[in-house]
Amino acid sequence: MNRLPAFTISQPQSVAEASEMLASLGDSGRLYAGGTELLATMKEGALLYDTLVDVKTVPGLADIRVQDGELWIGAAVTHFSIETSPIVRELLPVLSYVESRVANTRVRATGTLVGNLCFAEPHSDPATMLLCLDARVVAQSTRGERQLTIDEFFVGAYETALEEDEVVTSVVVPLPPANWRMAYKKFQIIERPTLGLGVVLELNDGGDSVATARAAVGCVSESPLRSSAAEAQLAGPLESLLERLDAAGDSLADEADLLDDREGSAEYKRHLIKVFLKRAVQQALQSDGPSR
Amino acid sequence: MSRDSDDAKVDLTPQNWSDLPVEPVTDVSHETGFQVVNKSVPRRDGVAKVTGRALYTSDITLPRMAHARIVRSPVAHARITSIDVSAALERPGVYAVLTGEDLKALPHTHYGHAVPDHAVLAIDKVIFVGEPVAAVIAASERIAQQAMEDVVVEYDELDAVITVDEALSPEAPVIHGRAFTSGAFRGFEEETVAGQTSNICEEAHVGWGDVEEGFSQATTIVEGEYYYPMAYAYAMEPYVAVGDVSDNSLTVYSSAQHPFMVRHDLAHVFGMSLGQVRVVVPYVGGGYGSKSYTKIEPLAAACSWWAKRPVKIQLGVEESILTTRGDDALVRMRTGVDSDGRIIAREATIYLNSGAYAENSPLVCKKSANRIVGPYAIPHVKVDCYSVYTNTCPASSFRGFGASLVTFGAESQIDELAEKLGEDGLSFRLRNVADEGERFFPKMRGLDANLKGDLRKLAAMLEWDAEPQAGRGKGLAVSASDAGAHPITTAAIKLHGDGSVTVLTGSTELGQGSHTVLAQIAAEEFGIPLESVQVVASDTAIVPFERSTGASRTTTLMGRAVQEACQEAIAQLCEMGSEAFGVPPEEIEQESGGLRHGDRSMAWSELLTSFFGMPDCEIVGRAYLRRAGDLKELPPFWEIGCAGVEIEVDEETGRIELTRLAAVGDVGLAINPAMAEGQDLGAAAMGIGTGLFEELVYDGQQLANANLWDYRVPRFTDIPSDVRLELTQDQNGVGPYGAKGGGEGSLNPMSASIANALYQATGVRVHEAPLTPERVWQALQAKKSSQREAE
Repeated sequence: MNRLPAFTISQPQSVAEASEMLASLGDSGRLYAGGTELLATMKEGALLYDTLVDVKTVPGLADIRVQDGELWIGAAVTHFSIETSPIVRELLPVLSYVESRVANTRVRATGTLVGNLCFAEPHSDPATMLLCLDARVVAQSTRGERQLTIDEFFVGAYETALEEDEVVTSVVVPLPPANWRMAYKKFQIIERPTLGLGVVLELNDGGDSVATARAAVGCVSESPLRSSAAEAQLAGPLESLLERLDAAGDSLADEADLLDDREGSAEYKRHLIKVFLKRAVQQALQSDGPSR
Repeated sequence: MSRDSDDAKVDLTPQNWSDLPVEPVTDVSHETGFQVVNKSVPRRDGVAKVTGRALYTSDITLPRMAHARIVRSPVAHARITSIDVSAALERPGVYAVLTGEDLKALPHTHYGHAVPDHAVLAIDKVIFVGEPVAAVIAASERIAQQAMEDVVVEYDELDAVITVDEALSPEAPVIHGRAFTSGAFRGFEEETVAGQTSNICEEAHVGWGDVEEGFSQATTIVEGEYYYPMAYAYAMEPYVAVGDVSDNSLTVYSSAQHPFMVRHDLAHVFGMSLGQVRVVVPYVGGGYGSKSYTKIEPLAAACSWWAKRPVKIQLGVEESILTTRGDDALVRMRTGVDSDGRIIAREATIYLNSGAYAENSPLVCKKSANRIVGPYAIPHVKVDCYSVYTNTCPASSFRGFGASLVTFGAESQIDELAEKLGEDGLSFRLRNVADEGERFFPKMRGLDANLKGDLRKLAAMLEWDAEPQAGRGKGLAVSASDAGAHPITTAAIKLHGDGSVTVLTGSTELGQGSHTVLAQIAAEEFGIPLESVQVVASDTAIVPFERSTGASRTTTLMGRAVQEACQEAIAQLCEMGSEAFGVPPEEIEQESGGLRHGDRSMAWSELLTSFFGMPDCEIVGRAYLRRAGDLKELPPFWEIGCAGVEIEVDEETGRIELTRLAAVGDVGLAINPAMAEGQDLGAAAMGIGTGLFEELVYDGQQLANANLWDYRVPRFTDIPSDVRLELTQDQNGVGPYGAKGGGEGSLNPMSASIANALYQATGVRVHEAPLTPERVWQALQAKKSSQREAE
């Protein structure tokens, strides 16, 4: 049986200290929170680090709070804590739902949302929905702090735009106004999801038309993605929305540059995108507020 | 298939586990008057296992013990041109590195119970990706793992054959190309032709009547090709073994199902007598056939021999998948029905991709040829089955082997025939399945089961006549396996001076419940409380010989041996009683916990004390079962599979979800009904896996999904909330109290049941298992486009 290679855990007491540790460690160190992806990959020998810098010992990163109409989720907050947070359940139930569907109980109890994003595994449920929610990632180093959109953050499979010494301290999600409708749907066959699909629809004052739309698809390409063409197609009167869904699904699929692989043929994935776009839109519109 | 990731919410509040209520299940003891058997007593190893106190092989640590990690081949077929271990040996903490070249100093380098074709480590040549090439032996697993990277192996690649088609092509390289003598425990008598001049490892030909004549008389014929996938018989405990070689003996602790079979291979490799070799098997964390026969034990022993210290080899799941998988099956088959709606002919050709070594595939081949016939009396039959060597991971037993992989096609085709006749699959089967006692398979035991009755029970549980909801369909299927439980079983019991009993058995506790069932039988025979019986198992130096723990044999054969051993001890006690009571033995009666003459009673302990003149002395009862008497005829029993499902199909995605599962276990008598039903449910759950999502896939020479991220096994959430189980207990088996084997049967019909239900729900027929969402969706698309063309 593969064993985890020996490594040291460093326990910084501040973000600055963590950043300094990462800077001095270079390729031989990495930040770690829940470790549900990282340790499994290290055990398989695909990644090797001498030192893991434990973000959980940094005070102040385990909070979920609301500030200026935005939800701030700290780097040490687990999937389970988000799923069960009264704040999230009340203000952004779709995120609570997404988190409740991540992997399995053990992963949710140990793994963190920020860790999930930083590992950039292509089959991430929350990454897809956060892209759809226009969330931002707050990255801090000794040189200061910057915010990246989810789109900017993901560079490719297992690859982010973070600098070597940057520590993601929080994810920031703008809270939706009352006229927004949203939903997340996933399709899973094996251990990781085959497809994740999120939609956010902003209704007009009369509630009979989609003013603006966002749709994101995950798991079918290196990073979750949105399609401006699809979002333009989704906008417009509700009564004809169903007729526009097929084209919008095609636009999303075009953007994803689908491949035939073990998870399915490109043809099947294109079909699934349409099915789940329809289901997500239907579910979003069934609710009377920005619920799941 | 998960419903997204719905994890069942389980209440884990600490409780007094032994006080947990036992669910009432089918129990006929009120009719039979049994005291201990036929009762759902809690399993005896349950508390030890859930509290982490149960001993498994991985818990075993010996003084001076080293750990080995295995360097594996990255290529499917190649000559090994060099192995450089010098850098690895320089690493601190590395004791030794063993290679195939080193093995040449052993009396034998190859083993195999069917065909001794399996090198302990690759010698000169590798023949599949993942084949062990060297073992690094070090003070810790971690050091061994690091040192593996220092072992430099150079290969000269050869053409590889991955598929059966490639392996059987005239240009194919012959993988083995050398003559083998038959292994010691083939289970059948013929000499082996394995791999001498072609890649055919084994062939089996079964037939009677004249199929051409049969098909000429047939009024309805269905012909088709079916594929059942390679699968991994996932057990929670991966392979693990500790080898300990000394000057004149060898002890191996292992997770093996069949310790005596492993002992034979070890004695052969090391040139030792059977008495010099001791194989000890503690609790095993699930077998399902994957731990049948010899796996890593010779390598663990060879490492100990080479490093001169005990060596443990603990594999992970990924390496275990590369160690043994199940055979896949490509089945080409036609079946014909006469004008009376009776099956008149069946012809089938089966190809098994058996991988690089024979392992148990020759027997899988033989059994597949038998079991594809199904439980039907068919006048004309011709079956040809080929087990084919390829440069892939070796295939061997998988729960219900030879049945699950061919029953998918066999029972799909039965429904296709019924459909063509415009008839319901249930009534077609009720007309065609063999009657109890009928010799539907020439030269074999008549059917020792009421399969028609079982089918009716199954139909009732499925509410067969009720129209399913829209989007849903029901399906069922049956099978009858000629249990490969060759009746060679011995057992001993010790009756201790205080009247308590120890059962000595070679049956391994794999989780199937043998420790509980065998104790129940001994308690019943002596008329003592269950708590007074202990079971000691699977230590070849202590317990009497048992051929295997497989083919659902333990309750039937070991159960009967234990029963007879108890009775033999009681016969001895009657002689003692004769002396004590001063009367002839035949005047003495057995009563609960002792013997009686008139109104004088003596407990077992009193009889022993009276005989020996001192307390604490004991006697041994023993029993030897062999192929004689009512066990002469094979199979010792037919293992019945009778299971069905209701499914819901999401036609947009092709995803199938089970909404109901029903199974009948025709077990003669359930010694422990709750555990018998648990086995049926477990077997059916494995069938859900290969029915819906489990398949090992080769991408070129590499297994593409040899890990649990990419290879999904069933979970509790895949089992529908509506599960209905029934036991048929007609006491018609050769086992104790009329018991027969169970625990594999319900797996066999599952994939066909699902395919049959899919047809009822959607009108599409899928001939390839598992019925993944995409396969179902593609079939639905094809149907739609052909409908459009028709319009």
